[in-house]
Amino acid sequence: MILPVLSSLMERSIMKITIQLRGSLVKYFQGEKERTVEVPDNCTAEEALRTVGIDWTAVKNFGFVAVNGKRVMIYDHLKEGDELKAYPKISGG
Amino acid sequence: MTMLGYQNKVLRVDLTKKGAKTEPLRMDWAEKYIGSKGLAIKYMYEELKPGIDPLSPENKLFLTTGPMTGTPIPCSGKLSIAAKSPATGTMNDCSIGGHSALQIKYAGYDMIILEGALKEPGYLLIEDGNVQFKDAKVLWGRGSHETEMLLAEKHGHDHSILSIGPAGENLVPMACINSDYYRQAGRGGIGAVMGSKNLKAIVIKGTGGVKIPDIVESTKKITQILREDTLQEDNTFIYDFGTTAFLEACSDGGILPRKNFSDVTDENWTKYNGEVLLEKKVGKRGCGSCGLGCGNFLKFGDAIVEGPEYESIAVAGPNAGIDDPEAIVKFNQVADDMGLDTISAGDTINFAMEMTEKGVHDFGIRFGDKEKQIEYLKLMAKREGVGADLALGVRKLAEKYGGEDYALHVKGLEYPQYEPRGSWGMSLAYAVSDRGACHMRAYAPNEEVFAASIPPYTAEGKGEMVYNLAVFNAIKFSLCICDFWATISFERMAELMTLVTGKEWTEQDMKDVGERVIHIARAFNQREGFDRKDDTIPKRLINEALQSGPAAGQKIPQEAFDDMLDQYYAVLGWDKNGIIPEDILCRL
Repeated sequence: MILPVLSSLMERSIMKITIQLRGSLVKYFQGEKERTVEVPDNCTAEEALRTVGIDWTAVKNFGFVAVNGKRVMIYDHLKEGDELKAYPKISGG
Repeated sequence: MTMLGYQNKVLRVDLTKKGAKTEPLRMDWAEKYIGSKGLAIKYMYEELKPGIDPLSPENKLFLTTGPMTGTPIPCSGKLSIAAKSPATGTMNDCSIGGHSALQIKYAGYDMIILEGALKEPGYLLIEDGNVQFKDAKVLWGRGSHETEMLLAEKHGHDHSILSIGPAGENLVPMACINSDYYRQAGRGGIGAVMGSKNLKAIVIKGTGGVKIPDIVESTKKITQILREDTLQEDNTFIYDFGTTAFLEACSDGGILPRKNFSDVTDENWTKYNGEVLLEKKVGKRGCGSCGLGCGNFLKFGDAIVEGPEYESIAVAGPNAGIDDPEAIVKFNQVADDMGLDTISAGDTINFAMEMTEKGVHDFGIRFGDKEKQIEYLKLMAKREGVGADLALGVRKLAEKYGGEDYALHVKGLEYPQYEPRGSWGMSLAYAVSDRGACHMRAYAPNEEVFAASIPPYTAEGKGEMVYNLAVFNAIKFSLCICDFWATISFERMAELMTLVTGKEWTEQDMKDVGERVIHIARAFNQREGFDRKDDTIPKRLINEALQSGPAAGQKIPQEAFDDMLDQYYAVLGWDKNGIIPEDILCRL
């Protein structure tokens, strides 16, 4: 009985999402715009970015994040299949 | 008194008498307002009589450079063109790229003031100290592109040309001035002021230089600044993408307007986003002295433009219910050639589309009607058929036919394409902007959406936020530094001023000048009778909540807007009615 429970927990503990980087942030993906990655279940946008080596607080020109085409807060939670997008600062008019 | 960096000279042209003379630049004013935007507004305040008709010979055009124009300082090639606005009755200063600012400076002038009016259509040819009045009857009625091509062929492609299209000739209050084919002094009907003077074009060539202290050492420092500051990633995205990069960010940010600001976030935005548009790139260009080169030439079918910029994409695309990139590019090209501001002309057509859809008045055009959208631009420029009505702009159309609930303007200037319900501070920025709804006076999405440093859906702190943004832009545009050098700081601006003038400037000096420029612009408008009653928010933003995007459910309560306005006036020391007290006025 224990194994199925553990297995279930493990299934829930990891989820797949897509991370897209915009503008100058693509350097963190060596020029790629998008990667599908495994991240802890129910993690925040901030945690998801950390799994691919981006600490947004240390990126001087970090702008904002969007999930599935809508701007969210960096501490908002993600779910399986989400498309997380990170933007650098944009200025001008 | 003279100062390095300046030519210390104004060229004053009397169009009525066909005469020109030079006079010293008022350096006491230059010390307080620097150049470009600020200095132009100070001259306008001092020289224009209150209450004049903006389309009468009493109005003047102030073509103003700054102390950095024509020096090696990057991104310093923009020209300010100012006059009283026929669209709003306020002051109006526009910033135009290209190369005309450098030519003016190299011809030996900091500023050209155009007074009076020609009796017949003409153009000005200025080659250093030689000013000639030329006949323009053969050019009258022609588009800006053809006009510029003909004049360049006649006088040489090394001359810069500022011209108007048919819209300016026909005094349409959303007519612009063009230069280098695709650059515009766009807003507030500045082209109509030029048209009212029967002035089709200004052709200018300068062969001189600009003196700055210790050119060798200064150039070394400027090169270092270019490398370390200007060419940072935060700025260079504009070289790769131009302002097309804003489209996706505004869509995700919930501030890309759709169908005359009835909602945000067009589900079809990927059809005309930056990546799609830039596949058609055929060339690149920057303004004189530019280190960033934002211009992308795109070609779709027989349409070619330098752009389209974010504003034009949004107004001709989602805000018109259109998702065809070729139609958007064509719209931009025709508007430029006709000499129409894409923002105001587009918004007016979009308003007419909604009026027709709602059955309030049948303008014969509905959302998505891309062929008519372009046809209507031509009619507006010529004031023919339905274009005679549309040339009135959104405010006057609403007064004539109704639709005030969804007429998006402030003081008669149509709304730019950043939806304030997703960025509340932007409603304040539009309301208090000196020339009516303008996104270049204070760019709130920077803080509320793109940097996510300040919560967007609250009034709290927005007065101070908009004040800080406005002071920054006021000094930046008075130095004539381009908007896209986004990382420049007050400290850097002071350093650059010290480099070109040889006089010590501090960060605080820069802030003081920025605030002074906001005051003098307000003082001009105050003298014309503007006050709090004119710093408005469109009814749609108060009464209708957004239905989609991250700001779904948001509308801006009147009390919140009033609160933001109170905060802004308080920071500037204005009274509750937005009036500048006497002790500030007498220091300007």
